Amino acid sequence: MITIAFIKKEIMETWRTRKILILVIVFFIFGILNPLTAKLTPELLKMSLKTTIPFPDPTSLDSWLQFYKNISQMGLYLFAIIFSGTMSHELAKGSLTNLLTKGLQRRVVIFSKGFVLFGQWLLSIGLCFIVTLGYTHYYFPDNKSPHIWLALWPLFIFGLLLVSLLLFTSTMINNNFGGLLGTVIVMIIFNLINLYKGAVNYNPISLVSKNLTIVKDDTKFFDLWPSMCITVGLAIGLLYLTVKLFDRKKL
Amino acid sequence: MNNAQLLLDNLPLLIPLVILEFGLMIAAVVHVLKHPQYRFGNKVLWLVIVIFFQIIGPVFYFMFGRGETA
Repeated sequence: MITIAFIKKEIMETWRTRKILILVIVFFIFGILNPLTAKLTPELLKMSLKTTIPFPDPTSLDSWLQFYKNISQMGLYLFAIIFSGTMSHELAKGSLTNLLTKGLQRRVVIFSKGFVLFGQWLLSIGLCFIVTLGYTHYYFPDNKSPHIWLALWPLFIFGLLLVSLLLFTSTMINNNFGGLLGTVIVMIIFNLINLYKGAVNYNPISLVSKNLTIVKDDTKFFDLWPSMCITVGLAIGLLYLTVKLFDRKKL
Repeated sequence: MNNAQLLLDNLPLLIPLVILEFGLMIAAVVHVLKHPQYRFGNKVLWLVIVIFFQIIGPVFYFMFGRGETA
């Protein structure tokens, strides 16, 4: 009951601070940019190189390539920027003190924040996906990308890790940049791990970088099982650590 | 394909894109001008960031730049 009340409070907050509005606008823009970039790149190359070599016409695959590139290189970090101070902001303002001294369990705060954050991740990715899907169907009516729905799942699963990472770092570091910093550092570490080729299928970053191969070939989805399990495991571990850390935190 | 036709072809993409990007930019510009208290930086700095860095600039301002009494 109290959890539901706190979830409502979180939803109200994301509405009042206009965070949800910014998310919707930004990811809508990304959704439009994907097919546009796919469509214009060959034209721009033609104009700037002034050659008569025929470029291959863009296909729906190019549009989805842009989608996964934009999400993993921009969208992810924008999400981190927007929710970078989700815990540290409240701790700094002291807005939780009253509730916690009146008997609100600390883990309820973490869980409801995580729940609402993940909901917003689903919303942003879903919106961007639907916009890209609509335009891609309109501009590139081919069947070169048969498994777009399946390729979306790893992104959702990666969101679990991103959300718990944001919660953990913004609880740990008393600074509005904490969440962003944590996300950037962890992404760098994942990228470094990827230098070792054998680790690719175990690396959580494959969930946001290997999607295009799934779009082309659905059997590739099952190669990513280990990485999905590790991602979920890491997310749960981080969430547990966050609860422990927050329990010991002085208000 | 000539330029005019290229533009015409992509209008369904360009119109919403321009509306959203300018909407975000103008909202941020208005906010910068109306709330002259920032966590750091000054008015000119934020105006430059908001106007010249599409998407990232306004988001950065709304998250880190705007003062507490939003």
